[in-house]
Amino acid sequence: MTTPLPRVVRAPAVRPAPSVLPRLARRRIALTALVTALALVAVLVLSAAVGQFPLSPEQILASLLRRAGLASADPSQAFADGALWNVRLPRLVLGALVGAALGVAGALMQGVFGNPLAEPGVVGVSSGCAVGAAAAIVLHVDVLGSLTVPAAAFVAGIAVTALVYALSRARGRTRVLTLVLTGIAVTAVANAAIAFLVFLADAASRDQIVFWQLGSLNGATWTAVGTVLPFLVAGLVGAFASARGLDLLALGETAARHVGLRVEGLRVVVILCVALLTAAAVAYAGVIAFVGLIVPHLFRLLVGPAHRALVPLSAVGGALLVSASDVAARTVVPFADLPIGMFTALVGGPVFFVLVRRTLAGGSGGSGGR
Amino acid sequence: MFARRLRALLLAAVSVTALAACSATPAPVPSVPTGHATASASGSRLPDPHSLTGPSTARSVAEVQPLARSPRATLPVTVTDVRGRSVTIADTSRILALDLYGTLADTVVALGLGDRLVGRGSSNTLASMADLPVVTHDGHELSGEAILSLRPSVVLTDTTLGPLSVQEQVAASGVPVVFLDPKRSISSTGDQVRAVAHALGVDAAGDELARRVAGEIADAKTRIAAMAPADPARRLRMAFLYVRGTAGIFFVLGKGSGADELIDGIGGIDVATQAGITGIKPATSEALLATDPEVILVMTDGLASTGGVDGLLARPGVAETTAGRNRRVVDMADGQVLSFGPTTAAVLLSLARAVYEPGS
Repeated sequence: MTTPLPRVVRAPAVRPAPSVLPRLARRRIALTALVTALALVAVLVLSAAVGQFPLSPEQILASLLRRAGLASADPSQAFADGALWNVRLPRLVLGALVGAALGVAGALMQGVFGNPLAEPGVVGVSSGCAVGAAAAIVLHVDVLGSLTVPAAAFVAGIAVTALVYALSRARGRTRVLTLVLTGIAVTAVANAAIAFLVFLADAASRDQIVFWQLGSLNGATWTAVGTVLPFLVAGLVGAFASARGLDLLALGETAARHVGLRVEGLRVVVILCVALLTAAAVAYAGVIAFVGLIVPHLFRLLVGPAHRALVPLSAVGGALLVSASDVAARTVVPFADLPIGMFTALVGGPVFFVLVRRTLAGGSGGSGGR
Repeated sequence: MFARRLRALLLAAVSVTALAACSATPAPVPSVPTGHATASASGSRLPDPHSLTGPSTARSVAEVQPLARSPRATLPVTVTDVRGRSVTIADTSRILALDLYGTLADTVVALGLGDRLVGRGSSNTLASMADLPVVTHDGHELSGEAILSLRPSVVLTDTTLGPLSVQEQVAASGVPVVFLDPKRSISSTGDQVRAVAHALGVDAAGDELARRVAGEIADAKTRIAAMAPADPARRLRMAFLYVRGTAGIFFVLGKGSGADELIDGIGGIDVATQAGITGIKPATSEALLATDPEVILVMTDGLASTGGVDGLLARPGVAETTAGRNRRVVDMADGQVLSFGPTTAAVLLSLARAVYEPGS
């Protein structure tokens, strides 16, 4: 899936950022953040207003007021309230959270690997999740009700990431190339396990695995939101804390060590954050392709490589991409719920192609690969 | 488990072709087997089933007949469903009955409450339900908004459809959601009818329907006994093959797949069970030759998709079996042949006729 660039090991691909951002850059960042955040709010409002249950804006407003205790209860609107509060809003919130998690995980991966092609899948977390989910589906495990598959996916994703890290460690430290290659090896084994599970599965389970792998936010509940949120918060805190370290790492490992950065410690923290963020997102929503790759890339083009700006922007941008894709997934074909991964990849593929072309043509943009 | 796996497999395929199957079915036989021609009653007039050759098609069974009297519901009713939850149903004016097989909705129709169904899943292919809105997408995935937009007062479902979190979303919105047993077999038909009736507060109708279904099955078995050889050693050796397309989808259905009960129900010997095959196994030429069936049972659309009887015989090992040499291939509509519900008796009878008195 992800091809490591051989030159990655030799030269840091992501350009180092100056420790104090120039004023122009700061204005640019603020403007980008503002536009992205406004777009996100607009998409979320749109998302709340469209769906298979016909709800007028007045009904939505009335329901919000009722929930806030500002209007009296109305039993005739019980189904409207149900559709809004138990189906649509959790889906909307979960989509934004998942997108934010994937965007930040991508920014972290590209930073710690010094490679613009890195994405969370590199350390095996997505394929690990897929193995866990497929196993729970095929073996009809039902210990936690509807939480069973997400829990299995999350645990397996974290376990596989830990395995990749442990295997790539030699003499107390890891090298980027070893990590990438170990990730590829472990992913191959995980894919073999998935193939075997698909072989074992009956047709219904096979459908379920296929649709899980395509990614979907159907069936999002507040429980899902509540269980994703702590991991997302932990991952985000870790990501913000690592941002400055990642900027230093962009100078190159040796240089970063000389200025006092504990590279190995940073790497552990970042990989842990990536595993938490990605596993939490993938566990509920399935594999949503390209978000982790494309979102940080795009913002690096817009605002430059400084992680202090890149990490939060990737969170907002990831939320925007997934939320917008979910609106499309729910509405493009009436009465259908298309795989959301299809839309993120549909947007992501061409955008990625353009980015690669620009980078290869020697254009600026800070995505490296020189 | 295997029965569930199999029927999931079948229905997944059926759902795609169900509409085509429905429109292509010939004149259906009545689901209540009364007043049937006398030919089948006198076993002596039937030819020796071992000597028959050539393919035949079982006639599609008619839609399930509702009970004569419309039932009086006693509400509210509180049930403990198979997931161990206590659910109280106060209103059955707007019913959704959703499962992978379509059996739950069939049962609601049979209980005389068909006019209260407000929606359907993609497995519900009864003509009387064709106009209802569909609440599944992507094959068999439920949609919470679609379900709630129908404002159901009660949802009957089971674990064969999901995702489970959608059913939980609906329950969280205050709609009573009752999970029923996902198992399907001839022997559990009555229990299932009663469970559905109980959840809708129409226990008396449930008893009546269960008795009717049991009576129909007993009646069908009597008629079948008159057609099938009485001597157990002289019974027809049958195999149910699941075939679809011309590639690798070619399986033999063994013990626990549902096909074993079906073959037993029409007085045959399930050669797959006899050979120790459990569940669904690839129909390799060795497996076919080892079992050597005299009759091969298949699904109508499955047979058509593999190129008819000739296409089936072209698969390795099929032509070498006794059934293959005699072209004894019996097919029946995909959505009916293994769906155990209120129409079970009619299915058994129709299939038995196609096996023992083809062309009648």
